[in-house]
Amino acid sequence: MEDILNECLERVSKGESIETCLNAYPEQASKLEPLLRISLMLMQSTAAIRPDAEYKARARYQLQAMFYDRHGKVKKEVRIPVWHKKWAVALTSVAVILLAGVGAAAASADALPDDALYDIKLAAEQVRMTLAFSDLDEAKLHLQFAERRADEMTEMARQGKSDEISMLTEQIANHLGKVAVAEATPGITKEKPRALAPPAPAPSEEATADDVGKDTGGGLGAALSQSWAMNLAVLEGALDKAPEELKPALEQAIDSLAKDYDRTIFIIEGGSS
Amino acid sequence: MSIEKDVVSRAIKGDGKAFAQLYEEHFDKIYRYVYLKVGNEAEAEDLTQDVFVKALEAIGSYRWRNLPFASWIFRIAHNQVIDYFRKQGKVEKVDLEDDDVAPVDESNPAHIAEQRFEIAELRENIKKLSPSQREVISLRFGAELSTAEIAEALGKSTGTVKALQYNGIVALRKMMLGNK
Repeated sequence: MEDILNECLERVSKGESIETCLNAYPEQASKLEPLLRISLMLMQSTAAIRPDAEYKARARYQLQAMFYDRHGKVKKEVRIPVWHKKWAVALTSVAVILLAGVGAAAASADALPDDALYDIKLAAEQVRMTLAFSDLDEAKLHLQFAERRADEMTEMARQGKSDEISMLTEQIANHLGKVAVAEATPGITKEKPRALAPPAPAPSEEATADDVGKDTGGGLGAALSQSWAMNLAVLEGALDKAPEELKPALEQAIDSLAKDYDRTIFIIEGGSS
Repeated sequence: MSIEKDVVSRAIKGDGKAFAQLYEEHFDKIYRYVYLKVGNEAEAEDLTQDVFVKALEAIGSYRWRNLPFASWIFRIAHNQVIDYFRKQGKVEKVDLEDDDVAPVDESNPAHIAEQRFEIAELRENIKKLSPSQREVISLRFGAELSTAEIAEALGKSTGTVKALQYNGIVALRKMMLGNK
Protein backbone atom coordinates (compact mmCIF):
# COMPACT_ATOMS: atom_id res chain seq x y z
CA MET A 1 0.00 0.00 0.00
CA GLU A 2 2.88 2.38 0.80
CA ASP A 3 4.44 1.73 -2.60
CA ILE A 4 1.11 2.09 -4.41
CA LEU A 5 0.37 5.38 -2.65
CA ASN A 6 3.82 6.66 -3.51
CA GLU A 7 3.49 5.66 -7.15
CA CYS A 8 0.09 7.35 -7.41
CA LEU A 9 1.47 10.49 -5.76
CA GLU A 10 4.23 10.62 -8.36
CA ARG A 11 1.67 10.23 -11.13
CA VAL A 12 -0.72 12.82 -9.71
CA SER A 13 2.12 15.33 -9.21
CA LYS A 14 2.96 14.88 -12.90
CA GLY A 15 -0.60 15.78 -13.92
CA GLU A 16 -2.47 12.49 -14.00
CA SER A 17 -5.93 12.39 -12.46
CA ILE A 18 -6.68 10.54 -9.24
CA GLU A 19 -9.23 8.43 -11.13
CA THR A 20 -6.61 7.12 -13.56
CA CYS A 21 -4.55 5.87 -10.68
CA LEU A 22 -7.54 4.37 -8.89
CA ASN A 23 -8.44 2.50 -12.06
CA ALA A 24 -4.96 1.00 -12.09
CA TYR A 25 -5.48 -0.38 -8.57
CA PRO A 26 -9.18 -1.29 -8.32
CA GLU A 27 -8.72 -3.53 -5.27
CA GLN A 28 -7.06 -0.77 -3.25
CA ALA A 29 -9.20 2.05 -4.68
CA SER A 30 -11.50 2.52 -1.71
CA LYS A 31 -8.60 2.86 0.71
CA LEU A 32 -6.43 4.79 -1.72
CA GLU A 33 -8.91 7.46 -2.81
CA PRO A 34 -9.24 9.43 0.46
CA LEU A 35 -5.47 9.40 0.90
CA LEU A 36 -4.94 10.73 -2.60
CA ARG A 37 -7.61 13.42 -2.09
CA ILE A 38 -5.93 14.66 1.08
CA SER A 39 -2.55 14.52 -0.68
CA LEU A 40 -3.89 16.59 -3.55
CA MET A 41 -5.13 19.15 -1.06
CA LEU A 42 -1.69 19.18 0.53
CA MET A 43 -0.08 19.79 -2.86
CA GLN A 44 -2.44 22.66 -3.65
CA SER A 45 -2.15 24.28 -0.24
CA THR A 46 1.63 24.16 -0.09
CA ALA A 47 1.87 25.52 -3.64
CA ALA A 48 0.20 28.69 -2.32
CA ILE A 49 3.14 29.36 0.02
CA ARG A 50 5.46 31.64 -1.89
CA PRO A 51 8.20 34.06 -0.91
CA ASP A 52 7.65 37.76 -1.42
CA ALA A 53 8.93 38.71 -4.89
CA GLU A 54 10.89 41.76 -3.70
CA TYR A 55 12.55 39.79 -0.90
CA LYS A 56 13.45 37.06 -3.37
CA ALA A 57 15.00 39.56 -5.77
CA ARG A 58 16.97 41.20 -2.97
CA ALA A 59 18.20 37.84 -1.69
CA ARG A 60 19.21 36.88 -5.20
CA TYR A 61 21.19 40.07 -5.65
CA GLN A 62 23.00 39.61 -2.34
CA LEU A 63 23.87 36.01 -3.16
CA GLN A 64 25.07 36.90 -6.63
CA ALA A 65 27.18 39.70 -5.21
CA MET A 66 28.67 37.18 -2.77
CA PHE A 67 29.18 34.73 -5.61
CA TYR A 68 30.90 37.42 -7.67
CA ASP A 69 33.12 38.40 -4.74
CA ARG A 70 34.12 34.78 -4.13
CA HIS A 71 35.40 34.47 -7.65
CA GLY A 72 38.01 37.12 -7.16
CA LYS A 73 36.62 40.06 -9.11
CA VAL A 74 35.74 42.22 -6.11
CA LYS A 75 36.82 41.92 -2.50
CA LYS A 76 34.51 44.51 -0.99
CA GLU A 77 31.40 43.15 0.71
CA VAL A 78 28.13 44.51 -0.57
CA ARG A 79 25.19 45.17 1.65
CA ILE A 80 21.93 46.41 0.24
CA PRO A 81 19.87 48.21 2.84
CA VAL A 82 16.50 46.61 3.50
CA TRP A 83 13.76 49.09 2.65
CA HIS A 84 10.65 47.70 4.21
CA LYS A 85 9.25 51.06 5.21
CA LYS A 86 9.17 52.55 1.77
CA TRP A 87 5.96 54.47 2.10
CA ALA A 88 6.82 55.76 5.55
CA VAL A 89 10.05 57.15 4.13
CA ALA A 90 8.19 58.69 1.21
CA LEU A 91 5.57 60.32 3.41
CA THR A 92 8.26 61.71 5.69
CA SER A 93 10.05 63.05 2.65
CA VAL A 94 6.85 64.62 1.33
CA ALA A 95 6.35 66.24 4.72
CA VAL A 96 9.91 67.57 4.64
CA ILE A 97 9.34 69.06 1.21
CA LEU A 98 6.02 70.58 2.19
CA LEU A 99 7.54 72.04 5.32
CA ALA A 100 10.54 73.34 3.44
CA GLY A 101 8.33 74.68 0.70
CA VAL A 102 8.20 73.92 -3.00
CA GLY A 103 10.50 76.88 -3.66
CA ALA A 104 13.16 75.36 -1.48
CA ALA A 105 12.79 72.03 -3.29
CA ALA A 106 13.27 73.79 -6.62
CA ALA A 107 16.22 75.73 -5.28
CA SER A 108 17.82 72.51 -4.02
CA ALA A 109 18.17 71.05 -7.53
CA ASP A 110 21.79 72.18 -7.83
CA ALA A 111 22.66 71.73 -4.16
CA LEU A 112 25.95 70.02 -3.29
CA PRO A 113 26.58 67.74 -0.30
CA ASP A 114 27.90 70.58 1.85
CA ASP A 115 24.92 72.87 1.05
CA ALA A 116 22.06 73.40 3.49
CA LEU A 117 19.51 72.41 0.83
CA TYR A 118 21.17 69.09 -0.03
CA ASP A 119 18.94 67.02 2.27
CA ILE A 120 15.90 68.49 0.53
CA LYS A 121 17.34 67.47 -2.82
CA LEU A 122 17.76 63.88 -1.57
CA ALA A 123 14.26 63.90 -0.07
CA ALA A 124 12.80 65.03 -3.42
CA GLU A 125 14.64 62.15 -5.13
CA GLN A 126 13.23 59.74 -2.56
CA VAL A 127 9.71 60.92 -3.31
CA ARG A 128 10.20 60.51 -7.05
CA MET A 129 11.55 57.02 -6.46
CA THR A 130 8.53 55.95 -4.43
CA LEU A 131 6.10 57.38 -6.93
CA ALA A 132 7.77 55.84 -9.98
CA PHE A 133 5.33 54.27 -12.44
CA SER A 134 7.00 50.87 -12.47
CA ASP A 135 10.01 48.94 -11.18
CA LEU A 136 11.77 49.65 -14.46
CA ASP A 137 11.23 53.39 -13.98
CA GLU A 138 12.59 53.08 -10.46
CA ALA A 139 15.70 51.32 -11.75
CA LYS A 140 16.22 54.09 -14.31
CA LEU A 141 15.81 56.70 -11.62
CA HIS A 142 18.49 55.01 -9.55
CA LEU A 143 20.80 55.17 -12.56
CA GLN A 144 19.96 58.82 -13.09
CA PHE A 145 20.65 59.66 -9.44
CA ALA A 146 23.93 57.72 -9.57
CA GLU A 147 24.95 60.03 -12.42
CA ARG A 148 23.95 63.05 -10.33
CA ARG A 149 26.18 61.86 -7.52
CA ALA A 150 29.08 61.54 -9.97
CA ASP A 151 28.44 65.14 -11.15
CA GLU A 152 28.40 66.30 -7.55
CA MET A 153 31.66 64.48 -6.93
CA THR A 154 33.20 66.26 -9.89
CA GLU A 155 32.03 69.63 -8.61
CA MET A 156 33.33 68.90 -5.10
CA ALA A 157 36.68 67.95 -6.60
CA ARG A 158 36.72 71.14 -8.68
CA GLN A 159 36.19 73.14 -5.51
CA GLY A 160 39.04 71.27 -3.85
CA LYS A 161 36.80 69.54 -1.28
CA SER A 162 37.62 65.88 -0.66
CA ASP A 163 35.49 65.16 2.44
CA GLU A 164 32.38 64.07 0.58
CA ILE A 165 33.98 61.92 -2.13
CA SER A 166 33.82 58.60 -0.30
CA MET A 167 30.23 59.31 0.85
CA LEU A 168 29.20 60.00 -2.75
CA THR A 169 30.99 56.82 -3.92
CA GLU A 170 28.96 54.81 -1.41
CA GLN A 171 25.75 56.46 -2.54
CA ILE A 172 26.47 55.55 -6.17
CA ALA A 173 27.16 51.93 -5.12
CA ASN A 174 23.89 51.95 -3.21
CA HIS A 175 21.96 53.17 -6.28
CA LEU A 176 23.61 50.49 -8.43
CA GLY A 177 22.68 47.79 -5.92
CA LYS A 178 19.08 48.88 -6.13
CA VAL A 179 19.20 48.80 -9.93
CA ALA A 180 20.23 45.14 -9.72
CA VAL A 181 17.50 44.33 -7.18
CA ALA A 182 14.86 46.09 -9.26
CA GLU A 183 16.03 44.28 -12.37
CA ALA A 184 15.64 40.91 -10.66
CA THR A 185 12.13 41.70 -9.46
CA PRO A 186 9.57 39.81 -11.58
CA GLY A 187 7.61 41.97 -14.00
CA ILE A 188 10.16 44.72 -14.42
CA THR A 189 10.31 44.34 -18.17
CA LYS A 190 6.55 44.61 -18.38
CA GLU A 191 6.45 48.18 -17.00
CA LYS A 192 4.12 46.82 -14.31
CA PRO A 193 2.02 49.66 -12.89
CA ARG A 194 2.13 50.30 -9.17
CA ALA A 195 -0.94 49.89 -6.98
CA LEU A 196 -1.40 53.61 -6.46
CA ALA A 197 -1.83 56.06 -9.32
CA PRO A 198 1.30 58.18 -9.72
CA PRO A 199 0.95 61.91 -9.18
CA ALA A 200 2.62 64.60 -11.26
CA PRO A 201 6.40 64.80 -11.05
CA ALA A 202 7.97 67.06 -8.42
CA PRO A 203 8.13 70.71 -9.63
CA SER A 204 11.88 70.94 -9.72
CA GLU A 205 12.32 67.66 -11.56
CA GLU A 206 10.16 68.04 -14.66
CA ALA A 207 12.90 68.04 -17.26
CA THR A 208 14.44 64.76 -16.12
CA ALA A 209 11.12 63.12 -15.20
CA ASP A 210 10.11 63.21 -18.87
CA ASP A 211 13.02 61.00 -19.73
CA VAL A 212 12.33 58.39 -17.09
CA GLY A 213 9.05 57.01 -18.38
CA LYS A 214 10.53 56.25 -21.77
CA ASP A 215 12.03 52.88 -22.42
CA THR A 216 15.08 53.42 -24.54
CA GLY A 217 14.90 49.82 -25.63
CA GLY A 218 18.52 49.17 -24.84
CA GLY A 219 17.83 47.37 -21.55
CA LEU A 220 19.35 48.06 -18.17
CA GLY A 221 22.66 46.43 -19.03
CA ALA A 222 23.19 48.84 -21.93
CA ALA A 223 21.97 51.77 -19.83
CA LEU A 224 24.45 50.84 -17.11
CA SER A 225 27.32 50.65 -19.59
CA GLN A 226 26.40 54.06 -20.99
CA SER A 227 26.02 55.49 -17.52
CA TRP A 228 29.44 54.21 -16.50
CA ALA A 229 31.06 55.53 -19.70
CA MET A 230 29.57 58.95 -19.00
CA ASN A 231 30.55 58.97 -15.34
CA LEU A 232 34.05 57.75 -16.14
CA ALA A 233 34.56 60.53 -18.68
CA VAL A 234 33.33 63.14 -16.20
CA LEU A 235 35.41 61.80 -13.31
CA GLU A 236 38.57 61.42 -15.39
CA GLY A 237 38.11 65.00 -16.53
CA ALA A 238 37.84 66.03 -12.89
CA LEU A 239 40.93 63.97 -12.06
CA ASP A 240 43.00 65.84 -14.68
CA LYS A 241 42.02 69.20 -13.25
CA ALA A 242 42.03 68.27 -9.55
CA PRO A 243 44.75 69.54 -7.21
CA GLU A 244 47.44 66.95 -6.45
CA GLU A 245 46.29 66.36 -2.86
CA LEU A 246 42.81 65.39 -4.10
CA LYS A 247 43.91 62.96 -6.79
CA PRO A 248 44.37 59.85 -4.58
CA ALA A 249 40.79 60.14 -3.25
CA LEU A 250 39.39 60.58 -6.75
CA GLU A 251 41.46 57.71 -8.15
CA GLN A 252 40.21 55.48 -5.35
CA ALA A 253 36.62 56.53 -6.07
CA ILE A 254 37.00 55.79 -9.80
CA ASP A 255 38.53 52.39 -9.04
CA SER A 256 35.76 51.52 -6.59
CA LEU A 257 33.01 52.66 -8.97
CA ALA A 258 34.52 50.69 -11.86
CA LYS A 259 34.16 47.56 -9.72
CA ASP A 260 30.64 48.45 -8.61
CA TYR A 261 29.47 49.05 -12.19
CA ASP A 262 31.28 45.93 -13.36
CA ARG A 263 29.60 43.83 -10.69
CA THR A 264 26.15 45.23 -11.40
CA ILE A 265 26.54 44.64 -15.14
CA PHE A 266 27.78 41.11 -14.37
CA ILE A 267 24.72 40.41 -12.25
CA ILE A 268 22.29 41.83 -14.78
CA GLU A 269 23.83 40.38 -17.92
CA GLY A 270 26.19 37.57 -17.02
CA GLY A 271 25.22 36.35 -13.58
CA SER A 272 21.49 36.14 -14.08
CA SER A 273 19.50 33.91 -16.37
CA MET B 1 26.27 14.12 -17.91
CA SER B 2 22.74 15.10 -16.82
CA ILE B 3 21.58 18.69 -17.22
CA GLU B 4 21.50 19.29 -13.46
CA LYS B 5 24.95 17.77 -13.03
CA ASP B 6 26.25 20.07 -15.74
CA VAL B 7 24.67 23.14 -14.12
CA VAL B 8 26.13 22.23 -10.71
CA SER B 9 29.58 21.64 -12.24
CA ARG B 10 29.47 25.04 -13.89
CA ALA B 11 28.35 26.72 -10.65
CA ILE B 12 31.26 25.09 -8.79
CA LYS B 13 33.64 26.51 -11.41
CA GLY B 14 32.28 30.03 -10.86
CA ASP B 15 29.62 30.36 -13.54
CA GLY B 16 27.21 32.96 -12.13
CA LYS B 17 24.49 32.02 -14.59
CA ALA B 18 24.59 28.39 -13.43
CA PHE B 19 24.38 29.44 -9.79
CA ALA B 20 21.41 31.70 -10.61
CA GLN B 21 19.76 28.70 -12.30
CA LEU B 22 20.17 26.57 -9.16
CA TYR B 23 18.84 29.44 -7.08
CA GLU B 24 15.73 29.76 -9.25
CA GLU B 25 15.20 26.00 -9.26
CA HIS B 26 15.36 25.53 -5.50
CA PHE B 27 14.59 28.84 -3.77
CA ASP B 28 10.79 28.60 -3.60
CA LYS B 29 10.89 24.94 -2.57
CA ILE B 30 13.33 25.60 0.24
CA TYR B 31 11.29 28.58 1.36
CA ARG B 32 8.11 26.45 1.44
CA TYR B 33 9.84 23.69 3.38
CA VAL B 34 11.30 26.14 5.91
CA TYR B 35 8.02 28.03 6.17
CA LEU B 36 6.14 24.81 6.94
CA LYS B 37 8.66 24.11 9.68
CA VAL B 38 8.91 27.55 11.35
CA GLY B 39 5.52 29.05 10.45
CA ASN B 40 6.70 32.64 10.18
CA GLU B 41 7.45 34.53 6.99
CA ALA B 42 10.28 36.73 8.27
CA GLU B 43 12.09 33.81 9.89
CA ALA B 44 11.52 31.63 6.83
CA GLU B 45 13.05 34.38 4.67
CA ASP B 46 16.13 34.70 6.87
CA LEU B 47 16.64 30.94 7.10
CA THR B 48 16.16 30.42 3.36
CA GLN B 49 18.78 33.03 2.62
CA ASP B 50 21.10 31.42 5.18
CA VAL B 51 20.67 28.07 3.41
CA PHE B 52 21.86 29.59 0.13
CA VAL B 53 24.76 31.40 1.81
CA LYS B 54 25.84 28.07 3.31
CA ALA B 55 25.36 26.36 -0.05
CA LEU B 56 27.47 29.04 -1.72
CA GLU B 57 30.22 28.61 0.87
CA ALA B 58 30.18 24.81 0.58
CA ILE B 59 29.48 24.30 -3.11
CA GLY B 60 33.18 23.92 -3.87
CA SER B 61 33.29 20.80 -1.70
CA TYR B 62 30.13 19.30 -3.20
CA ARG B 63 30.79 16.02 -5.01
CA TRP B 64 28.08 14.31 -7.01
CA ARG B 65 28.69 10.74 -5.78
CA ASN B 66 25.09 9.79 -6.50
CA LEU B 67 23.79 12.41 -4.06
CA PRO B 68 21.47 14.65 -6.07
CA PHE B 69 21.98 18.38 -5.60
CA ALA B 70 18.42 18.72 -4.25
CA SER B 71 19.18 16.21 -1.48
CA TRP B 72 22.42 18.02 -0.68
CA ILE B 73 20.87 21.48 -0.40
CA PHE B 74 17.87 20.18 1.58
CA ARG B 75 20.26 18.53 3.99
CA ILE B 76 21.65 22.02 4.58
CA ALA B 77 18.11 23.37 4.98
CA HIS B 78 17.23 20.58 7.41
CA ASN B 79 20.32 21.36 9.52
CA GLN B 80 19.58 25.10 9.45
CA VAL B 81 16.07 24.48 10.76
CA ILE B 82 17.40 22.19 13.52
CA ASP B 83 19.95 24.87 14.49
CA TYR B 84 17.21 27.49 14.46
CA PHE B 85 15.02 25.55 16.90
CA ARG B 86 18.02 24.72 19.05
CA LYS B 87 19.01 28.38 19.31
CA GLN B 88 15.44 29.42 19.96
CA GLY B 89 15.14 26.76 22.63
CA LYS B 90 11.83 25.60 21.28
CA VAL B 91 10.33 22.86 19.17
CA GLU B 92 7.78 24.57 16.96
CA LYS B 93 6.05 27.91 16.83
CA VAL B 94 2.48 27.80 18.06
CA ASP B 95 0.78 30.59 16.20
CA LEU B 96 0.46 31.15 12.52
CA GLU B 97 -0.40 34.71 11.73
CA ASP B 98 -2.67 35.27 8.77
CA ASP B 99 -0.42 38.01 7.43
CA ASP B 100 2.46 35.58 7.14
CA VAL B 101 1.12 33.85 4.06
CA ALA B 102 1.68 35.22 0.58
CA PRO B 103 -1.12 33.67 -1.52
CA VAL B 104 -0.89 32.88 -5.19
CA ASP B 105 -3.92 34.67 -6.55
CA GLU B 106 -3.78 38.19 -5.17
CA SER B 107 -6.68 39.43 -7.29
CA ASN B 108 -9.33 37.43 -5.45
CA PRO B 109 -9.81 38.36 -1.77
CA ALA B 110 -12.16 35.44 -1.08
CA HIS B 111 -9.65 33.02 -2.52
CA ILE B 112 -6.87 34.60 -0.46
CA ALA B 113 -8.86 34.18 2.75
CA GLU B 114 -9.66 30.58 1.88
CA GLN B 115 -6.03 29.79 1.06
CA ARG B 116 -4.82 31.38 4.27
CA PHE B 117 -7.28 29.36 6.25
CA GLU B 118 -6.30 26.15 4.50
CA ILE B 119 -2.59 26.78 4.95
CA ALA B 120 -3.04 27.67 8.62
CA GLU B 121 -5.11 24.54 9.20
CA LEU B 122 -2.68 22.43 7.24
CA ARG B 123 0.29 23.65 9.19
CA GLU B 124 -1.47 23.17 12.49
CA ASN B 125 -2.17 19.57 11.55
CA ILE B 126 1.32 18.91 10.21
CA LYS B 127 2.63 20.18 13.53
CA LYS B 128 0.79 17.38 15.32
CA LEU B 129 2.56 14.63 13.34
CA SER B 130 5.56 12.80 14.76
CA PRO B 131 8.86 14.62 14.03
CA SER B 132 9.88 12.07 11.38
CA GLN B 133 6.48 12.14 9.67
CA ARG B 134 6.48 15.94 9.77
CA GLU B 135 9.93 16.06 8.18
CA VAL B 136 8.96 13.69 5.37
CA ILE B 137 5.63 15.43 4.68
CA SER B 138 7.32 18.86 4.61
CA LEU B 139 9.99 17.64 2.22
CA ARG B 140 7.55 15.73 0.03
CA PHE B 141 4.85 18.38 -0.32
CA GLY B 142 6.65 21.62 0.60
CA ALA B 143 9.91 20.91 -1.18
CA GLU B 144 8.47 18.56 -3.81
CA LEU B 145 11.28 16.04 -3.35
CA SER B 146 10.89 12.42 -4.42
CA THR B 147 11.01 9.71 -1.76
CA ALA B 148 14.48 8.77 -3.05
CA GLU B 149 15.71 12.36 -2.67
CA ILE B 150 14.20 12.59 0.82
CA ALA B 151 15.90 9.33 1.76
CA GLU B 152 19.26 10.79 0.63
CA ALA B 153 18.67 14.08 2.44
CA LEU B 154 17.68 12.45 5.73
CA GLY B 155 19.99 9.46 5.55
CA LYS B 156 17.08 6.98 5.74
CA SER B 157 16.07 4.11 3.46
CA THR B 158 13.47 4.72 0.73
CA GLY B 159 11.21 2.12 2.38
CA THR B 160 11.29 4.00 5.67
CA VAL B 161 10.48 7.28 3.91
CA LYS B 162 7.53 5.68 2.09
CA ALA B 163 6.20 4.27 5.37
CA LEU B 164 6.54 7.66 7.10
CA GLN B 165 4.80 9.33 4.17
CA TYR B 166 1.94 6.82 4.24
CA ASN B 167 1.44 7.01 8.00
CA GLY B 168 1.72 10.80 7.91
CA ILE B 169 -1.00 11.13 5.26
CA VAL B 170 -3.27 8.69 7.11
CA ALA B 171 -2.78 10.71 10.32
CA LEU B 172 -3.47 13.99 8.50
CA ARG B 173 -6.67 12.58 7.04
CA LYS B 174 -7.86 11.56 10.48
CA MET B 175 -7.13 15.03 11.81
CA MET B 176 -8.91 16.71 8.89
CA LEU B 177 -11.95 14.49 9.41
CA GLY B 178 -11.86 15.29 13.11
CA ASN B 179 -11.86 19.02 12.36
CA LYS B 180 -14.99 18.88 10.18
